[in-house]
Amino acid sequence: MVTPAIPPPDIFVPEPGPSVSAALTDANVRVTSAFSGAQIVLYGAVFDPETRPSDVVVIVRGPDQPIRIARKVRVAGLWINSRPVVFEGAPGFYMAASSRPLTEIASFSTLRRLGAGIDHLPMNAPEEERIETSYGVRDVVVSRLGGDYLEWRRAVIRLKESANLYATDHEGVRFVDRGLFRAEIDLPTSAPIGEYQTEIILFQDGEPVSRRARTITVEKAGLERWLFLFANERPWMYGVVSVLIALLSGWLASVVFRRR
Amino acid sequence: MDIYLPIAEVSVNAGILVLLGAVVGFISGLFGIGGGFLMTPILLWMGIPPVVAVASEANHVAASSASSVISYSRKRQVDFRMGGVMAGGGAVGALLGVEVFRWLRLLGQAELVVSLSYLIFLGLIGGLMLVESLGSVLRQRRGQVSTKRRDRRPIWLYGLPFKVRFPRSRLYISIIPPVVLGVFVGILSAIMGVGGGFILVPAMVYILRMPAGVVVGTSLFQIIITTSLASVLQAGRNQSVDIVLATLLLLGGVLGAQFGARASSRFRAEELRALLGLIVLIMGLQMGLGLFITPEDPFILVGSGK
Repeated sequence: MVTPAIPPPDIFVPEPGPSVSAALTDANVRVTSAFSGAQIVLYGAVFDPETRPSDVVVIVRGPDQPIRIARKVRVAGLWINSRPVVFEGAPGFYMAASSRPLTEIASFSTLRRLGAGIDHLPMNAPEEERIETSYGVRDVVVSRLGGDYLEWRRAVIRLKESANLYATDHEGVRFVDRGLFRAEIDLPTSAPIGEYQTEIILFQDGEPVSRRARTITVEKAGLERWLFLFANERPWMYGVVSVLIALLSGWLASVVFRRR
Repeated sequence: MDIYLPIAEVSVNAGILVLLGAVVGFISGLFGIGGGFLMTPILLWMGIPPVVAVASEANHVAASSASSVISYSRKRQVDFRMGGVMAGGGAVGALLGVEVFRWLRLLGQAELVVSLSYLIFLGLIGGLMLVESLGSVLRQRRGQVSTKRRDRRPIWLYGLPFKVRFPRSRLYISIIPPVVLGVFVGILSAIMGVGGGFILVPAMVYILRMPAGVVVGTSLFQIIITTSLASVLQAGRNQSVDIVLATLLLLGGVLGAQFGARASSRFRAEELRALLGLIVLIMGLQMGLGLFITPEDPFILVGSGK
């Protein structure tokens, strides 16, 4: 592919061959005290001189968050948690939106290679049994799943989906005009803080022909950020301050009420 | 108005929190308890992560107890020496409790232990209080003169060493029972997010045999020290105190406590105890019931080891 000479910024020079472009309405989500989730619109366009049928897949992957999951088991009439299993490498947020069901767009192996779709999320409960000592707690079982792996994995996905942290939307990418598409990314309140990698993939004949990457940053801002940093960087001071506030307000209330 | 809590990382309605704080504060002032055993389960049901609920609630309990203890101390109803001795034990207990809770969380069993503690302690104490106070209410209704409880103190209380004089309580006893009681309540306060008044008050009456007049004030005084310490420890060790959540709760809490303390003089002590027993019992059963119900989904995500 010939790299075109760098054009002046306001003149559009189409690339030869099919390509996809995309932009976000809001690449920077500020978590302030008014935060109650966010909706980001991704819009983009497909350029293809040969006008072949195209599919677009949008994948959003939040920062990794190890998942600890337990299974309720009945012991002496009580439902209690089994020892938790840790899944590593799973994202804290995951969304796969596409213009058609993924299985109609590309083959299993292509999707697996691209990590496109919840079924292809690389989520590892390490294969062999491994017992760790972490924070002084002995035998935290990292994995002892073996044949049960799929069932546990499905449970992780089901629970994450019900918390709106994982989503698959077969109609999430909609073509609104010729070559012009949009997709919505809904971040729930519980969406983790950090960088979200967004990938936009153009498929033709079951093969990815063009890819674009965008980054969404979710960060605490304003007072929220200040308090969060205070709590984490100077935890003891933070604790003393919060207790002083509590005691002072208690004392103040009793003084005010005594006067009446 | 919805507000995003910086540490709990959930969005909740600020007005509801202030109102809840006020209602629980009222109950707290009325009965002379911290009110944590009511508030912590409510916070859990609102979707606040257990670790944050327990830690922030300790802060709220400290505030509403401070609000009502001052009026008790004006009436000379606080035994500071006894409270101080129990708080010494409470400090050790809180230290232990914060570590135990951290360990349980890593095992994924924090939820179980919290539910079980509520079921056992609240169920037991609530039930006993209800039966005992209903009995005396009924006796009074039937016109029987309530048989004055004999003030005979158990021998073991006197047999123990390290005796100290507690003039305000008119006691001369070993400091071992109050210290042990303090340790026990300190552990519970860190695990259950409660002040422990519902255990302290009956224990001071029935075990230490303190005069009824100083029991509530002294219990509140010891609760302030224990919960303040638990709160600082939770913040320092687990970074789990949400100052915004705690402030919203204590806004209503300190006011509610004042009204509650005033209202308390309108009721008779036995009736109040019966009502408190009922509330305690219901909370215990409610929290414990979940252990017996078959869960809808057998799997559960347990908090990431923050």
